[in-house]
Amino acid sequence: MSSGIGKSVKRKEDKRFTTGKGRYTDDHRMDNQAYAAFVRSPHAHARVKSIDAAAARAMEGVIDVLDGHQLTGDGIGNIICGWAITSKDGSPMNMGAWSALATEKVRYVGDAVAVVIAETQSQARIAAEAVEVDYEELPVVAHVADAMKDGAVQIHDNAPGNQIYDWELGDEAATDAGLKAAAHVTTLDITNNRLSPNPMEPRAAIATYDDAEEHYTLYTTSQNPHVARLVLSAFYNVAPEHKLRVIAPDVGGGFGAKIYIYPEEITCLWASMKTNRSVKWTSDRSEAFLTDAHGRDHVTHAQMGFDKDGKITGFKVDTIANLGAYMSLFSSSVPTYLYAPLMSGQYDIQNIHCNVRAIYTNTAPVDAYRGAGRPEATYLVERMMESAAREMDMDPAELRRRNFIHEFPHQTPVLMQYDAGDFPKILELAQEAADVAGFPARRAEAEKRGKLRGLGYSTFIEACGLAPSKAAGSLGAGVGLWESAEVRVNPVGTIEILTGSHSHGQGHETTFAQIVADRFDIPVETVQIVHGDTDKVQFGMGTYGSRSAPVGMSAVVKAMDKVEAKVRKIAAHTLEASEDDIVIEGGQVKVAGTDKAMAWHEVGLAAYVAHNLPDGMEPGLKETAFFDPVNFSFPSGAFICEVEVDPDTGQTKIIKFTSADDFGTIINPMIVEGQVHGGVTQGIGQALLEQVIYDEDGQLLTGSYMDYTMPRAADVPFFDVQHHETPSPNNPLGVKGCGEAGAIGAPPAVINAITDAIGTNDLAMPATPQAVWRALRAASKPIAAE
Amino acid sequence: MDMTGEHRIAAPRAEVWAALNDPEVLRACIPGCQELEKTGDTTMEAKVVQKIGPVKATFTGAVELVNINAPESYTIQGEGKGGVAGFAKGAADVHLTEDGDETVLTYDVHATVGGKLAQLGSRLVSSTAKKLAAKFFDNFHQHLTDEAPPEA
Amino acid sequence: MTNVKMKVNGKAVAREVPDETLLSEFLRENLRLTGTHIGCDTSQCGACVVHVNGKVVKACTTLAVSLEGAEITTIEGLANGDLHPMQVAFNDNHGLQCGFCTPGMIMAGVDMVTRYKAEGRELTPEAIRQELEGNICRCTGYHNIVKSIQDAATRM
Repeated sequence: MSSGIGKSVKRKEDKRFTTGKGRYTDDHRMDNQAYAAFVRSPHAHARVKSIDAAAARAMEGVIDVLDGHQLTGDGIGNIICGWAITSKDGSPMNMGAWSALATEKVRYVGDAVAVVIAETQSQARIAAEAVEVDYEELPVVAHVADAMKDGAVQIHDNAPGNQIYDWELGDEAATDAGLKAAAHVTTLDITNNRLSPNPMEPRAAIATYDDAEEHYTLYTTSQNPHVARLVLSAFYNVAPEHKLRVIAPDVGGGFGAKIYIYPEEITCLWASMKTNRSVKWTSDRSEAFLTDAHGRDHVTHAQMGFDKDGKITGFKVDTIANLGAYMSLFSSSVPTYLYAPLMSGQYDIQNIHCNVRAIYTNTAPVDAYRGAGRPEATYLVERMMESAAREMDMDPAELRRRNFIHEFPHQTPVLMQYDAGDFPKILELAQEAADVAGFPARRAEAEKRGKLRGLGYSTFIEACGLAPSKAAGSLGAGVGLWESAEVRVNPVGTIEILTGSHSHGQGHETTFAQIVADRFDIPVETVQIVHGDTDKVQFGMGTYGSRSAPVGMSAVVKAMDKVEAKVRKIAAHTLEASEDDIVIEGGQVKVAGTDKAMAWHEVGLAAYVAHNLPDGMEPGLKETAFFDPVNFSFPSGAFICEVEVDPDTGQTKIIKFTSADDFGTIINPMIVEGQVHGGVTQGIGQALLEQVIYDEDGQLLTGSYMDYTMPRAADVPFFDVQHHETPSPNNPLGVKGCGEAGAIGAPPAVINAITDAIGTNDLAMPATPQAVWRALRAASKPIAAE
Repeated sequence: MDMTGEHRIAAPRAEVWAALNDPEVLRACIPGCQELEKTGDTTMEAKVVQKIGPVKATFTGAVELVNINAPESYTIQGEGKGGVAGFAKGAADVHLTEDGDETVLTYDVHATVGGKLAQLGSRLVSSTAKKLAAKFFDNFHQHLTDEAPPEA
Repeated sequence: MTNVKMKVNGKAVAREVPDETLLSEFLRENLRLTGTHIGCDTSQCGACVVHVNGKVVKACTTLAVSLEGAEITTIEGLANGDLHPMQVAFNDNHGLQCGFCTPGMIMAGVDMVTRYKAEGRELTPEAIRQELEGNICRCTGYHNIVKSIQDAATRM
């Protein structure tokens, strides 16, 4: 059929977005709406001595000015991190208190100390400026190296040495032995640059309190409205869950930044009760740079040993992760369970040890950003492989091939059991598409023009669809990692799918409809996806970690199984046939081999009029299912990047970027390729352009698009996306998830290509023209004249 | 941000020293200075309007003279709060050397900015500070000698 | 306060607004045309691009009072009964994901195709990428936006 699984169905949701009818949070306006503006610390570390809001209160339009003492006084709880990590000495992680409005201390530039509620946004902002906060400045540690020094100022009283945890995974003794036995050891010191996720829609919230019902409604830019409601209710004491409705309407991109529950939403909810007004807050871009959780920011020392044939004998990793001033919702899991278990890559490595220390600094909180831990692991593993190949004078593709895993399932020494894949095949696919055979000629031609060509590989694996809940729970997760779905067949035969997954660019309204259309052989137009509203949809976990397809869609499939079973019973009863002979196709429910049939909608109607149902059957045609996968899914990919560097300017141009991905079963190739394009571009952004910079005083120096370089259209080429499908055995559709692959796999491919071009491995991200030029100069012999 | 500089002023040292301690002179010479009031022997309150890149702000703050070694040197230090624009603070060591009828003024400035100024204007702080310093000494020179300074 | 009169999407409008009102605010808050988006504070991202007297303008850096008598077209006014070929092309080529930058991309795309056609120049993919210098998309990697504009150029 034309709209089923595997077809590039055009997106159903596009019309509202292309005509300006999308409804994002800031597009909504409530009756009786007031505006919030936050008073934020300009200091990275300071004691709050006093707050004088008298002048602000007297200003035109100001309704109230509220501070952290009032907030905590009303019982609003501290913001928590939902994944408990235990240090290797058995001690729990040192989580410092984080109040939505700071009371005693501010710990990063942008930390909110008060909120002004006023009639208009501009009145609120002007009055926020008039709030006088008396700060006593404290010494600042803006970078991990400073935070870890002896005698460094302590950011949280309960985190000595500013250390949150010191955690390890793997067998250190075996790994040391593996390294000792190696014929060659490659050593790398690597920084994974700090990034700002930058969804184009800034965060926003509108909170409304109904004093008669003691009920709250929150419109917010969330990837997971149910999780937001749960956390707001259970931990922040805003309201019990049944008195709180969270709506995430159209959301303009997330990339991780909109998973977490931030101080602003909590404050708006509370302020709506305090002022009995709807309270709206919309971040501007500067605020987004200051307060949206950042991503990455690792410093790593690693060694990988090889035997004389190039087989890996051991891989030892020591990482320091900067988590910023407070622990954001999933921050602790990113450099641990989303990072270390990926250290085996696509390779058969018997000995792996990974140690991670997480450190507080006076910077914005750091949490998951597209890929979350997996890009950091992949960057390390893949730069390691490429560096080792060069040091051992081997073809980098050949070194990878010698270490590839061939049999599945494969158990690594770092927790993971890989489900399915064909790593040699995707590498071959990528090499053909990238015309690797023709590269030497292209390099020679470029050289004639005075340009340096390079080719870089990244063959990577990721773990998507975080699972299973039981395992995650045993590793410290505070939530389950299943997903829910409800399939409602209406009396007229149209279908509504209620899913806990949330679409904010991924195209669920199309792809989720496709799997339903495929299953019941009905037009995709007759299927509607409902999501993003806790009053409409049963509890769900939301969208992150490329989980919507492997987990969210699987829940829909489970619910469809139940619907189908009932449809068969009704049809068999009505048509006087055996359930086993019922087939669903072409918009009909038929008895195989006969001309007896009911139209699809007639079955729906029969279920609801209930005039003639089998004895004991309940009326209606609506089923709910929860799906908890038995394991992660493991998408894999082979990326090849070809660059040309201008040695005079250090400018890198990406000539060709080829990806060969194994996402398992593909529902909609057009949408999957779009995810790859976007992910790869964010990876190229990390490799070439992007970096959040704090100066030594903890001042954010990259607070706008004039200073933080986003990839623009001219920075990237067209992409060549190839597919190879090895279905995952861990879910009914065989899907693996595709949202993060590009961002995970691209950075090492780009940097491996540049380092290949310039002939030195001493290059850090972002490889700006200046950085490349300097690396080139440092690598070449000193020029006598200088 | 660190900045050093040297200016030759066609006036005797005592006169230059006096001017450097006269709030009226400072108010007239500091670019964008709207108010400068003495609040004690060595302390002043100032209000200065500045524009750094896209950020325009009114800074209010206290200025203090320390390490006074008349008529040779002092340190002028201050911190200005610019509301949501952030803050600027810094100190300048100013030293006067006699050279005949003229005076050679050297200065050594260390300044930092915070908040929105740092986020949006950090690229421009150095160049703006240099421009402001140049403007101040042009004004100062003109005030003392009643003529435009010689071309640098 | 100033009484501003202009023609927006073919309809005459007049509103009394503070002098500092930006066109983006005027469209979003006064006229409730929320298809024009605000993605940054520094005129970099292009989510707010509209047409003023036939030329592209970033609504977030234009004062409403400076546009007395102007003719404005926003994303809401682009379709004329049927969808504009640029809107169709974005759907056909998957030129959008979250949709937030899309109105600006479409308005910029319409402008560039119109200009290149008027000047008799060929709108190559390279030219499209250069022309998109003032529009940021975080989702698509631009691949399908460039293809959408290329495609629309053949239909406009």
